[in-house]
Amino acid sequence: MKNENKQKSPLSAVLLGIMTVACAAFAIFMFVRPVEAAHNPDLPTVILYDGPSTMATSQSARIWVEGHELFVFDVMVNHEHIWNHNTIPSRTPMAYFCFEGEVTIEVEVPGLAQGISEVHILPAALGITPTLYNNRVSFTISEPGFFTLIYNDHVHLATHIFANPIDTDIPDRDDPNVIFIDPGHWTLDAIVLESNQTLYISGGAVVTSIVLVDNAENVTIRGRGVICGYGFPAWNQPGAYARVPIDIRSSRDITAEGFILINGNAWKFNSYNSRDLFASNIKIISGRQNGDGFTFQSCRNHHVVDSFVRTWDDSLVIKNYAGSSDNITFERIQIWTDLAQSMEIGYETNMGLTINPTISNITFRDIFVLYNNHKPIISIHNGDDALIYNILYQNIIVDNAFMRGDHGHNNELIEFNMIKTHWSTVTDEWGQIRDVVIDGLIVHRTLYGTVPMSNFWGHNEYHTLENVTMRNIYILGERITTLQQLRAHVNPYAFNIVIY
Amino acid sequence: MNKVYVIACCTVMVVSLALGIFAFVTRGGEDSNITIVRTPAQAEAEWPPAVFNPMSLIVELPETPNLAEGRPVHATSFTDVYVPANAVDGTVTSYWESHGFPADFTITLDGVHQVSTVAVSVNPSLLWEARSQAFEVLVSTDNVNFNTVVPHALHDFDPLTGNTVRLDFAPTAAQYVRVHFTANTATRTMGAQAAAIRVFGS
Repeated sequence: MKNENKQKSPLSAVLLGIMTVACAAFAIFMFVRPVEAAHNPDLPTVILYDGPSTMATSQSARIWVEGHELFVFDVMVNHEHIWNHNTIPSRTPMAYFCFEGEVTIEVEVPGLAQGISEVHILPAALGITPTLYNNRVSFTISEPGFFTLIYNDHVHLATHIFANPIDTDIPDRDDPNVIFIDPGHWTLDAIVLESNQTLYISGGAVVTSIVLVDNAENVTIRGRGVICGYGFPAWNQPGAYARVPIDIRSSRDITAEGFILINGNAWKFNSYNSRDLFASNIKIISGRQNGDGFTFQSCRNHHVVDSFVRTWDDSLVIKNYAGSSDNITFERIQIWTDLAQSMEIGYETNMGLTINPTISNITFRDIFVLYNNHKPIISIHNGDDALIYNILYQNIIVDNAFMRGDHGHNNELIEFNMIKTHWSTVTDEWGQIRDVVIDGLIVHRTLYGTVPMSNFWGHNEYHTLENVTMRNIYILGERITTLQQLRAHVNPYAFNIVIY
Repeated sequence: MNKVYVIACCTVMVVSLALGIFAFVTRGGEDSNITIVRTPAQAEAEWPPAVFNPMSLIVELPETPNLAEGRPVHATSFTDVYVPANAVDGTVTSYWESHGFPADFTITLDGVHQVSTVAVSVNPSLLWEARSQAFEVLVSTDNVNFNTVVPHALHDFDPLTGNTVRLDFAPTAAQYVRVHFTANTATRTMGAQAAAIRVFGS
């Protein structure tokens, strides 16, 4: 028997060796195989984007989606809530991805030396309650949106997560009218788009440049990528100039969708003397001088939806520079205003010195103000001689109404007035404001835990503020049904100011 | 069977299976719907390939030596001070100009080379208007029998692209390189012009 066993040993040894090699090969294969495996309809679909190899992911925050770590940008923001010619921006984490289904997001913030004792997700209206365990935040989402994490009830390293819908209908890169920007870090002085062109900025792309559309029509700018102004000095510094990342001028039929604007050195999304613009899913974060978000001058038929705007100057602003403004709607917008106003009409209402200028049919609907840190949230400043009418603010929800103002001024919640300032062009004529409706305003928290003041001022008996209707107003949990409750200052030239 | 061998094999198998299962779980498994969009390796931000780059229009020349520089040349004619040697003096500010058409410009190389590129330039200054010149390129090993390597055609010279026309062809043995000019659309001349005629090969 012993002899027989010894004769079998070589075969067994070979088999054992083969099995050993097979196991080792299995292990190696499992480590090197591609992770993009077969689609499973029962699981969420997630698209993540590497950051450019020229950039390092944030050391302040780490973010995972379904266990996969995202590249995190450190983007410029600004915690100074008063104008400073030489302001120095701060940084805060930002990340983005695309998904469909239900995904779990996890966040750690090593940049918070004291750790995380509490965390909230804004806007509060989303009703998302994250879990916190061992300094790791976790929450689940099933719809695209913008999610801002606030740690320890402080804005330091507030983390912006942009969860996009899957990018579909991607344009044909071989189409001669398509400028297709691939993932990677790209730089050039400007991208000038002509009529019928599409600029597609892929997710994973960071473009250090500006996009100019001048006297063109039927132009599309879209994609999940980033336009970044890092490296451009602030526009008001010696030798520098304003580089507006999206600059639409005297154009029509413009579509903008999906991209992110960060670190710019001036206004962010500008439209001047243009018409028929539709923008959706645009994410804007600014931290430098004149970093206005969506700024439209003398435009018509503009519609902005499902977007995020955190700015160091007015977040949404309408002015008259070269004629009148009409039919402009902002809808389902999240706002974080570190400087100036959240929703501003003015101050320039006739910079172009046109005859009978008007600003009309302006709608702010379903606006979520995460923080407003400086001036009024809702404001109309008729600084020239325009007639401003048919203005609707509907369903405005404010998480933090922290109007710090300017040394005791400009700290109102609502301000409608006619006023001459250094932004005024017409100094000897006055305009009028009439037919303004605020239908639904909820303020969850204020700077001092009290109702902020509001101003309603006309200029004289010929240049009045008329017909302002406010309803469904709730501040600090209390329904506001009188002007006294609103702490409203109404001057003798403001007529028919009604709240119920 | 050797006991040590058996133990070693079993150990490798167990560890391999454990690592394989670990990788399967942590790397998403077969049911993953995760797509990771990768970015290219870049040392610094670059000009995006999809966007027109005016610098890309500047005509680049081979990095090999210019076989024509300083070599003897002969032209069928020249005007005023615009002598043939100006086209092989290593600069693009001086130039040769023929006295009418046709005009042959022949360079004698230092021996037989496998020539593969000829570049004809006029002054790249923006002061020099864009123009077109009609010419062909011929080569010879004996200065008697010339073969056409670039057929006669009208070539555009544009200061925005460096005012250079580069012509590549299959490597051809040559000691004599001739450019045969027949026309120039420039408004201030009646002859051929060349600030540099450069020859590249091995």
